[in-house]
Amino acid sequence: MNFVSPDLSPAFAEMFVLGMTCLVLVVDVYLKDSQRGITYVLSMLTLLGAAAITATSGVVARELTFSGHFVSDPMGDVLKLVVYATTAVVFMYSRDYLRKNDLFKGEFFMLALFAMLGIMVMISAGSMLSLYLGLELLSLSMYALVAFQRDSAQAAEAAMKYFVLGAIASGCLLYGISLLYGMTGTISLSGVSAIFSSADQFNIPVLFGLSFVVVGVAFKFGAVPFHAWVPDVYQGAPAAVTLFIASAPKIAAFALAIRLLVDGLGDLQGGWQDMLVALSVLSIIIGNLVAIVQTNIKRMLAYSTISHVGFILLGILTGSQEGYAAAMYYAIAYVVMTTGAFGLIIILSRKGYEAEHLDDFKGLNSRSPWLAGMMLMLVFSMAGIPPFVGFYAKLTVLMGLVEVGLTWLAVLALVFSVVGAFYYLRVVKLMYFDEARETGEPEAALDIRVLLSANAALVLLLGLFPDGLMSLCIKVFQ
Amino acid sequence: MEILFYVFATVLVGAAIGVITARNPVHSVLYLVLAFFNSAVLWLLLEAEFLAIVLVLVYVGAVMVLFLFVVMMLDVNVESVKSGFTRYAPVGVLVMVIIAVELAQVIWVRHMGLRGVGELTPMPADYNNTRELGLLLYTEYFYAFELAAVILLVAIVAAISLTMRRRPGLKAQDIARQVGVRREDRVKLVKMDAEERQ
Amino acid sequence: MIGLSHYLTLSAILFLLGVTGIFINRRNVILLLMCIELMLLAVNFNFVAFSRFLNNLDGQIFVFFILTVAAAEAAIGLAILVVLFRSKNSINVDELDSMKG
Repeated sequence: MNFVSPDLSPAFAEMFVLGMTCLVLVVDVYLKDSQRGITYVLSMLTLLGAAAITATSGVVARELTFSGHFVSDPMGDVLKLVVYATTAVVFMYSRDYLRKNDLFKGEFFMLALFAMLGIMVMISAGSMLSLYLGLELLSLSMYALVAFQRDSAQAAEAAMKYFVLGAIASGCLLYGISLLYGMTGTISLSGVSAIFSSADQFNIPVLFGLSFVVVGVAFKFGAVPFHAWVPDVYQGAPAAVTLFIASAPKIAAFALAIRLLVDGLGDLQGGWQDMLVALSVLSIIIGNLVAIVQTNIKRMLAYSTISHVGFILLGILTGSQEGYAAAMYYAIAYVVMTTGAFGLIIILSRKGYEAEHLDDFKGLNSRSPWLAGMMLMLVFSMAGIPPFVGFYAKLTVLMGLVEVGLTWLAVLALVFSVVGAFYYLRVVKLMYFDEARETGEPEAALDIRVLLSANAALVLLLGLFPDGLMSLCIKVFQ
Repeated sequence: MEILFYVFATVLVGAAIGVITARNPVHSVLYLVLAFFNSAVLWLLLEAEFLAIVLVLVYVGAVMVLFLFVVMMLDVNVESVKSGFTRYAPVGVLVMVIIAVELAQVIWVRHMGLRGVGELTPMPADYNNTRELGLLLYTEYFYAFELAAVILLVAIVAAISLTMRRRPGLKAQDIARQVGVRREDRVKLVKMDAEERQ
Repeated sequence: MIGLSHYLTLSAILFLLGVTGIFINRRNVILLLMCIELMLLAVNFNFVAFSRFLNNLDGQIFVFFILTVAAAEAAIGLAILVVLFRSKNSINVDELDSMKG
């Protein structure tokens, strides 16, 4: 048995995050409730340090370590930086909300950091085993976060549904992985890829395993028909947790799809393309139509997420580098928009009251023209109205579809995004043309106001100058 | 060997059916324990000794006991549990039909030319399953091993933060304070002038 | 002679019994958790059988990790169940309907 010690340097960021999270865990035990700010500062430092490590690593080519279980490549680094930034934004938005609702506890930060570590592991997964373990690390932390508000029956119910459906999805994913292992005799993604690129591919057991894997991926994305958990979890969880679930894990789902379907099963593209077409078409149709009848804005945004997920899948199913880049751009744009929208819900919420009804947005313009203006930009961007980032993201995905000859799919997606624009514009109508139910400007700390403004400004800037991020997305897939 | 496989496989499937049809959750847990025991024996037939033992020790010994504990603790009303079984029977039948179709496909594996699958030759006498697994686990699977540790840590943090409650007004014994108590803390001698006789 | 397909068939039966159980057990959540355990057992069966017939230990290592994760999952699932029972005094699936839309 000759074993060479692995090169640890590509995984420094993961090791740093793990070490710091354990430190937060220990320090938090000795803090009084009035000193929880220290936990918050330490968590932010963790993110800052991890970002510094990842940004200076300077990975230019694909590199494998830990016997092939860990892969570091430019795509992984870009995605990780997005995840750090998202988590930091989530922490900042949540801070005052958690304080007001007596939820400002160390567990929130620890579980979120562990979930982020899971996402990092998934992004860097080189084998089906590390992909699975990263996924479970993310999911288990998420289940606990949803149930984190213990006196809320709704949160417990949402957590239970999330848990049961999530565990079933993991079971399906594992069954698929076990069949793929049986067909190829290896669990490393590059090994699987090597075997499928040479062998005759489409026999029934392989397709059988592939479909189980796609079910697992679709569930983690929240694509129709595996979307049942999304609205309930968004509604039932406290707004700060919803903000987190709606943002960073979508990057993880994107990484899961790229690692498993493209890196591992890229040669079976003919097999999974049809499945993804069905999933994305259903997601775009159901997501946009059902969102129209929602009166709860968290549920409405949940269905809006489902339709955005449809677009990300549309980018992946093209099977071309441009398509993957477009999907990555869409995922990042989605995260920017969604953190802003949920951040605004958090700002409007008060102690013991979630601003989750559409009516809470009535007459927002008369209460605070500035907040209404920010929401206007975010909502326009989600609806895909130029010049915001949502428009450009949709455009690149659709162009990628046309390039590979799936014009009918592009037309269908376009039609339903126009339908979807209706419910986004309804929010605008409520904010600007309806009577306010209550008076007084919602209070928010200065840094949160700055953050929200930056968030909305980013939506506009990325839409006006999309080339920088887009060329980055294209570069990492070459 | 063959007869052993069929005996244990039959009991295993029977136990699995028991899990999903038993009316009392406690019976379901016990059927599940039976299913795990039979699986362990079948894994022994496949010469996966270490996993067979882990399945019994860890899974039956810890996880199933946890299940049983929660079932007992929650004290679920058996009467209410009985209802609603037949209502979903049509869905169950539908799924059963899908089972038949899918089973047929999986059995096809035999004809589909799996790689490197032949007759099973017994491992040599000096083969040590545990040693081989250990050699892999602490070298090539070192990264996964660390991740598993983190997952267990998350489970600990989550389970404690979800279920531990400090109720106000809870009566608990503090032995250190009991032992450390002094006479002055408990008894207070008050000197009073004798009251005048009325 | 007992071949790979015997083990795969057995595992498929177990997996689909687990799935069927999820469909017919709308009675209480703890039964759903047990059905999920059955599904995972089926997955483990697949891995062990493939591992033995391919003469490759990766599958058995994978099972080791699935067992670990499943134990962690059970702990968290049961913790959530306890929280749910405390707040609703029921773990009946039919009563988990406070959110609609």
